[in-house]
Amino acid sequence: MSATRANDDADALSRDLVVTNKLGIHARPAALFVKIANRFQSDIFIEKDGEKVNGKSIMGLLMLAAGQGSRLKLHAEGHDAPQALNELESLLKRNFDED
Amino acid sequence: MQHQVVTVESFYTQHVSQLQLRLVAGATGLKRVIREPTVSRPGLLLSGFTRYFAGRRVQVIGNAEHYYLRSLPPAERQRRYDLLFSHKIPCVVVSRDLPPDKKFLQAAEKATVPVFQCPLITMKFINLATLALEAMFAPRGSEMGSMADILGVGVIIKGESGIGKSESVLALIERGYSLVSDDVTRVTLLDGREVMGSSPEVTRNHMEVRGIGIIDVVAMFGIRCVRKEKRVDLVVSLKPWEEVSDVERLGMEQEFVEILGIKIPHIILPVRPGRDLARLIEVAAFHQKLKSSGYNAARELNERLMAKMAEATEA
Repeated sequence: MSATRANDDADALSRDLVVTNKLGIHARPAALFVKIANRFQSDIFIEKDGEKVNGKSIMGLLMLAAGQGSRLKLHAEGHDAPQALNELESLLKRNFDED
Repeated sequence: MQHQVVTVESFYTQHVSQLQLRLVAGATGLKRVIREPTVSRPGLLLSGFTRYFAGRRVQVIGNAEHYYLRSLPPAERQRRYDLLFSHKIPCVVVSRDLPPDKKFLQAAEKATVPVFQCPLITMKFINLATLALEAMFAPRGSEMGSMADILGVGVIIKGESGIGKSESVLALIERGYSLVSDDVTRVTLLDGREVMGSSPEVTRNHMEVRGIGIIDVVAMFGIRCVRKEKRVDLVVSLKPWEEVSDVERLGMEQEFVEILGIKIPHIILPVRPGRDLARLIEVAAFHQKLKSSGYNAARELNERLMAKMAEATEA
């Protein structure tokens, strides 16, 4: 579930994740996600069904309407990309501290 | 750019009220894919000419096909039904509420091809269905950026998170312009030449303003401050002052960005504290409007200057 792979650019990483919390990424989880994403300098994007949005934008995340079971691909690009992916993955795995 | 897979089901559910479709057979085939964004009338096929049959399209049976089939003896009619359903057609629509006979429905059921009845006259149905299918097949995607309608100029405002996109849009709304979308704009290609911007359904009419949270623009500023969709005429990128090395000083040349393969005029605005971004975006939009009506201020000024210099050398 968490195969980190380096792209051509050494700083560009991506990771596949599944939304596991019951209510999916609604307003509160989206806010948490964006809050964490904004701590990093890397550009962070989330992809769902081929649609890619800015991971630092609440509206972007809400637009994805990622319910439970949705498959997401997290992209991070920048010098702190690995940490960013780790923290965001852990947030999803903790079910946004919800359930 | 996303490639659209249009199933009979999505065509049916999205346009059921407009096209007044009623599913009468073949519900198991709703996942069939419509491969061409138009309709076909299978008259020639039913009369036995099978070459060039446009079987990838929605098949429409109107008066001509219906009464032609009824004129045939039952055994022959059955053969024609089997011929039609031997092709991999997505679905059949019978217009004018003409009643398809039992054998037809059985053949459809066997071939798992959905059959719909529709009260519209054939021509009306064909027009509406073609438009609906065109829209469903249109290339689409999303752009990271907010969009506003500034005096009829559709402007997508881009820039990294936190640079002030939402604040600018808010200030534009205060000036009486309307919000199309905040932060993410959906784009659709119309007729292969115009890019239409709209808001994702979920977040429509809402904005996120840092420090305040999510606001409902309609509740706060009124219905005139939002627009469901607008053609994209200009892209404005907000960039930190330090990052813009060779900022445009004249505006004689036009820069472009591509959205869905269409070239859209592009302006980069350097951001620095104290610059009134909303005002600048507003001016950029007016500027674009003037340019698209054929007036280029920089060029006019330059021509005046050159004329003046020529005069001086002649004298």
